[in-house]
Amino acid sequence: MFRARQQARPPDRQQAVSSGGDASHLRLVSADVYTDWESVYRDNVERLYRLMYARVGNRPDAEDLTAEVFRTALGPLRLASSKGEVRSYLLVTARTVLASHWRRQLGRPVTSIDPSADLGYLAEPSGPDGPSDAPYRTAPILAALPDRYRRVLELRFLEACSIKEVATSMNISVSNAKVLQHRALHMAAKVAQELGR
Amino acid sequence: MSNRKLSAFIDALVSGRRPAKFAASPNDAEALRIAITLRAARPDDDAGPDEQFISNLYRELAGQQASRAAADVRLFKPRRAYVALGAVAAGLVLVAGTATVTDAINKPAVTASAVPVPGGQVMSTATFETVDHRVLGQIVAYNSHPSWVFMDVDVANYQGRIFCMLQAHNGSTLAMGAFDLHGGVGEFSKALHVDIGGLKGAELVSPTGSIVGSATFA
Repeated sequence: MFRARQQARPPDRQQAVSSGGDASHLRLVSADVYTDWESVYRDNVERLYRLMYARVGNRPDAEDLTAEVFRTALGPLRLASSKGEVRSYLLVTARTVLASHWRRQLGRPVTSIDPSADLGYLAEPSGPDGPSDAPYRTAPILAALPDRYRRVLELRFLEACSIKEVATSMNISVSNAKVLQHRALHMAAKVAQELGR
Repeated sequence: MSNRKLSAFIDALVSGRRPAKFAASPNDAEALRIAITLRAARPDDDAGPDEQFISNLYRELAGQQASRAAADVRLFKPRRAYVALGAVAAGLVLVAGTATVTDAINKPAVTASAVPVPGGQVMSTATFETVDHRVLGQIVAYNSHPSWVFMDVDVANYQGRIFCMLQAHNGSTLAMGAFDLHGGVGEFSKALHVDIGGLKGAELVSPTGSIVGSATFA
């Protein structure tokens, strides 16, 4: 079953100065903080999209989920929080949003976000060469498959071939290509489990 | 058996479309997890966000932030003198605008200019326009302690809440607040602790985040 919906506590304070008196009400504001919601958005929207894309594999859903995370997270967010606090909060929100997506879409979790393990997605650096663990995760799985299984998955998912193109390329019928893809995916899932990926 | 729906989901995934819902078995979920991981490993443009998506979401969130700001802050009750001054200034802008348009019949170029204001204080004015340059109204910003902004708009076929976002020269955006248009018509004024001279312009934004009109201070 799904994990209970986690209520993420937004970062709402910095480390307090504890020297007593009035100083105890002062807050240390690091230079590494967000001062407005726009900087939170601009600094994280691309990173968050990439993470969502890696978890759903298609642009429309990745965009919807990224938008939902910001709609949900920005309201309660207190500014002047450190970048690390804000990113952790965004990731916890993203985990909940993604879990809800799979519950609506397929009735069970398919992929998930681990706020600790996936922090790298929101950490520096960002941009077109931002972090993605997909090639790292797929290479050993594909390498462990029989040649025909590996080939059908490479053609379909890495080279974007239609099932007809796969059939032509592998010199098999379309129905055979479908069966081959189906079996290859299930074997790849077992391999991934064995490899712990 | 959900093989057909699983195949349809995978077809959508491969072609970059939004996959359809179905009740997946545990085995399906395992296969889909691998399919998604493989799809995400493909080097293509979809892995990065579209610029249009980023800007559209920004506008939507700006509207959301403006709505929250309007709900959170104590509504400014402008003194009658301010409202009257604002209305007079907006009227002056309309007159100046009319004069400029009239002049434009005989002159090839139109130059926007701020209207001189009573009291010698710094006042900036601008005209809200649609993207196709239809005039929607006026905005007047008065630099003082506090500063204040007044606007008077008339948006055809618009009913309900509209948000005003102020844009600064440094690129930042300030959510000024929200107000209601009745029959497309509405006025709004608010005190602001900002330097009006730092403002570049303003935008009127619908609750869905689309820009209704924009104005650039002269």
